Amino acid sequence: MEARRPQTKGSSLKLELPWHSRFDLLGITFLLFLLGAVGALPSIEGSGRDLDYWGNLSRFASQFFPPDWSILDRTLEGLLETVQIALVSTLLSIVISIVLSIGAARTIAPLWLLWPTRMLLNLIRTIPSLLWALLAVVIVGSNPLAGVIALSFYSVGYLAKFFSETFETANTDAQQALRSLGASPLQAFQFGLWPNARPIIWSHCLWMLEYNVRSASIIGYVGAGGIGLHLKLYAESADSWNKFSLVLLCILAIVTVLDFTGEKIRQSIRDQLEGKKKTD
Amino acid sequence: MPKTLLTTKNLGLEVEGRTLLKSLILSLNPGTFVAVTGPSGSGKTTLLRTLAGELDPAEGKVVNYLDCPTRLAMIFQDLQLADGATALTNVLGGSLGRHSFLSTLFRFPSEEREKALHLLAKFGLSEKSNQWASTLSRGERQRVAACRTLLTRPHLLLADEPVSSLDPSLADEVLAHLSNEISGKNGCLVCALHNDEQVAKFADLVLRLDPSDPNGWKLEDLKPKEVA
Repeated sequence: MEARRPQTKGSSLKLELPWHSRFDLLGITFLLFLLGAVGALPSIEGSGRDLDYWGNLSRFASQFFPPDWSILDRTLEGLLETVQIALVSTLLSIVISIVLSIGAARTIAPLWLLWPTRMLLNLIRTIPSLLWALLAVVIVGSNPLAGVIALSFYSVGYLAKFFSETFETANTDAQQALRSLGASPLQAFQFGLWPNARPIIWSHCLWMLEYNVRSASIIGYVGAGGIGLHLKLYAESADSWNKFSLVLLCILAIVTVLDFTGEKIRQSIRDQLEGKKKTD
Repeated sequence: MPKTLLTTKNLGLEVEGRTLLKSLILSLNPGTFVAVTGPSGSGKTTLLRTLAGELDPAEGKVVNYLDCPTRLAMIFQDLQLADGATALTNVLGGSLGRHSFLSTLFRFPSEEREKALHLLAKFGLSEKSNQWASTLSRGERQRVAACRTLLTRPHLLLADEPVSSLDPSLADEVLAHLSNEISGKNGCLVCALHNDEQVAKFADLVLRLDPSDPNGWKLEDLKPKEVA
């Protein structure tokens, strides 16, 4: 018997897919995004004046250099307060998020708890960190406590969502095995699901800490403590852009250190969980 | 302990419309090592899971005479360990049925830890007790799963290919430990095995499944009792 090969014109293989087959959900989303962005272009207008953009930029940037190192001590104090605000608010948000995330995880919580918890988290995420800071300053005054309150609320919106998604996607085999071996549901969660979710959860916590250090640097702008207050003072006083640039340099240094350390720890956790350090 | 731990009456098994087994009559008694053999797809795992009560039989029934459900335990073929927990914590999971949530919330009772460490040592895993399960080899994970199940102190242990990833000498050692801990202490061990030498060495009874004929199962008594 002779096998029949599909007939093609010339050497090229002709794909017989209908023209609209490439417009799946992803394709349509991308097309809508592109149309939206191009459609928005006419409404993005400048001042209409004939300005020397590059000249303005170079004059302004030159005021940042050289940084004024005489304010280093004061800046480091402000930076320490910023890191302290970030640490405390991250810790508080982790504790609250673990509780809320259990209520927001489809695989754990009943429906009557799931949707109210998810709506609460959506509401928290709707409010930006600067607005949380303004609210906190109005309530507790202009101090680092306001920063802690603001960032705690802000972080809970994200961390609880990340945690609940981690619980939903974690391997549940061990949890089910422990149930069949006589463990209660809570025990099966603690010793079966939590160990599988924990490395990812710590990874999210580290990311949140990095993020909160960045956020804590700016919320001082509205009086919620930290280095942001310094930024505000230098930005508003004349001829202080060289001081402003030193503060920026210090923030850059701490964020880089945190980013580098966080990435190393996350990589190590990933390696261990994926079993890259097998013994044989 | 009851004289018979579990019996099957005309048990029939089906998976996705395919009949694996028909009219199985089996009685699991204390002090017995029962091997279940047969090629892949012959229904060994389905049979063990049906005996464990995880699956419903297509016909007939399984009668469990154990006084407490936790007296029946299973070593799963896919092990089902918590990857992000240490070998020791995984083993200690087998003791959870005996303790309340609060009593194990922060630390397991010291006698359970000792027993778990003792089991790990017996199975040659002392040095791995504080390693995450994800970093252990398949053979080590298999032994951790066996230790976890032994810590539940079962009277009837259903083991689904518990030594498939071990070299022959280590496999013999593990089967000897399982046999001593269960059938040696008047329990019953039902073990799905592929290796005929292991079956001949350890089993008292062997149930041979035939994938081509659901009625073709055979039950052989390998160690008939000596007549005085």
